[in-house]
Amino acid sequence: MSTPILLTLTAPLGDSFTIPYHDFGPAERPPRLALVAGLHGNELNGVFVLSRLADFLRRIHAGERRGQALRERIVLIPAVNVLGVNTCSRVWPFDKIDLNRSFPGDSAGETTQRIAAAVVNITRPAYYRVDIHTSNTDIEEMPQVRLYEPNDDERASACLFGLPAVIERPVNPIFTTHLLHTWRQYGGENFVIQCGLAGNLQTAHCEVLFRALVAFLDRAGLVDGIALPEDEEHLHYFGLNQSVALMAEQSGIFVSRLEVGRWVQAGDLIGHIYDGFSGEIRAEVHAPTAGLVGSLRRQPLLFEGDPMARILTLTDAGNQMERILHSQGQ
Amino acid sequence: MEKRLETLLSLALPYRETVTVRRSIYRGGAGPRVAVTAGMQGNELEGLYLCHRLAVWLEQLAQTRPEALLGQVELYPALNPVGLDTLQRTLPVYDSELDRSFPGHSEGPLPQRIAAAVLASLQGAALVIVLQASDMHLQEIPQARLESRFAERLLPLAQQLDLDLICLQEAATVAETTLVHSLNARGEPGLLVTTGTSMGLSKRHTEQLVAGILTLWRELGVLASDLPLPAARHRPLLVEANQMYPLNAEVSGLFDAQPVACGGLVKAGELLGLIVSPFEGRTLAEVRSPAAGLLVTLRHYPLVYEGALLARIAGSA
Repeated sequence: MSTPILLTLTAPLGDSFTIPYHDFGPAERPPRLALVAGLHGNELNGVFVLSRLADFLRRIHAGERRGQALRERIVLIPAVNVLGVNTCSRVWPFDKIDLNRSFPGDSAGETTQRIAAAVVNITRPAYYRVDIHTSNTDIEEMPQVRLYEPNDDERASACLFGLPAVIERPVNPIFTTHLLHTWRQYGGENFVIQCGLAGNLQTAHCEVLFRALVAFLDRAGLVDGIALPEDEEHLHYFGLNQSVALMAEQSGIFVSRLEVGRWVQAGDLIGHIYDGFSGEIRAEVHAPTAGLVGSLRRQPLLFEGDPMARILTLTDAGNQMERILHSQGQ
Repeated sequence: MEKRLETLLSLALPYRETVTVRRSIYRGGAGPRVAVTAGMQGNELEGLYLCHRLAVWLEQLAQTRPEALLGQVELYPALNPVGLDTLQRTLPVYDSELDRSFPGHSEGPLPQRIAAAVLASLQGAALVIVLQASDMHLQEIPQARLESRFAERLLPLAQQLDLDLICLQEAATVAETTLVHSLNARGEPGLLVTTGTSMGLSKRHTEQLVAGILTLWRELGVLASDLPLPAARHRPLLVEANQMYPLNAEVSGLFDAQPVACGGLVKAGELLGLIVSPFEGRTLAEVRSPAAGLLVTLRHYPLVYEGALLARIAGSA
């Protein structure tokens, strides 16, 4: 089976390169599911997991997995920003443009505009669409589903991934150039998954993400014959009012020994801020409230005002700073 | 006339040092306050030089006719000092565009703190000129881009700035996070002026802008009405966004521009350059103007991908 190509581009020196994708299942139907990763070239968890999922689906398609069968057509793009993956760059390396600020794109425009238009073109016919991200190189995110002003179907389907956190946010007008925003114009059900830390691979998060996508394939009726494990964590939905952003009141070196996805009690130690020169502890950082550690700073160089952690709470304990970060597109 | 250097924001870096954002203030009488901001992108230096040239002029005025400064001039040449010090367009570490961080917040991360401090400092200004250079691939002639909804107020100001071009356009929603939008939205006239290129200086254009800015300041009553100024000689062409004709590369390769001057008039079909292959003598494509008009943008970085912007022409198809 030849590899389908989303787009072929020619580099200035004349070499051509392609953005390939996978296309499994009944070719005569529109895709039921489109999975996209690597819009940011250094977000490697999604790239790796989609490539592994492609191998899993290929083996089902080839009849190598007894009792399992593809019921629907599935399209996967493991890496949109192919040059970025090869150079570990978040943005399109040539002109430093963020592909996820380039939608809906233009098939006759600049390179990033053409790529965006091609991604929309191939994913638009799908009913379910998932864009996989990993925050950035500073903040580690627990594997989570993100919904932006979801409809009831999206809210219901978000639990099919079986991830312990579903985070809901209002649509921010400055997100209009994101892939998700473009998808929303075309109906269907649209999700963002956040998972881990950019610039690196976290195998434990990759396993969680892989299981989540397989669970979705089973529960959304895309693949027959999958037996899911029964040991899933309890699932919670968290709105903006159930999210507490913990911001640094001073600069220094921030170190945390916690793991994302753990529950903490009010007052539990989150980490320390050290003086980078003297080595003295400048501050202990404690959880202001009980909750799930959804995000944690891993890039230790801390400026005053930097986010250190996000705690997802079962009560309406959300703070003003979380709303400010959201309004600024973070 | 009183001159002083002021710190808007000072913040400790993770390892010992401190980042400070500063402005120069030239204070004369109780007349209007005006400001020029620049250096939001750490690789754009045109505005730093413009601020220097304005400072030279003001300091000469302080020697010759100090009482002719009726108001107050504030220069903010380097709003992204860490980016300027390290030759990075964005705010280092955050990797975010400072001019996508407005209105900001005084307790947020660094980009938002700078944004909030700048907006607080500019409160009450009668005119703020936000100077930016073009991006790293292009060169531009001095031009203002005005959001249509603010045009009624801004256009009469922009027309006195000795520019070559004024373009009226609808703002994308992402532009709502810019400094100039925040200023205009709260009622302080902010003019976005683009000129030159990244990582260099276009001195002739700077002198053109100095003449225009001084003329406008005199008109606003910041400078005495009888003060002789360098002559403002340009009549800006006023266009709407749909009268701007982009010219995109048909093929990838090396763009070999003809010796056409940015700011000159071109004919429809006129040869502006070739796209060639570095491996052989072949020309891959001829680049011809899609319209007759003013050449306002010309690609300055020669390597191009198919679709790359090579030029923009303001005029009629």
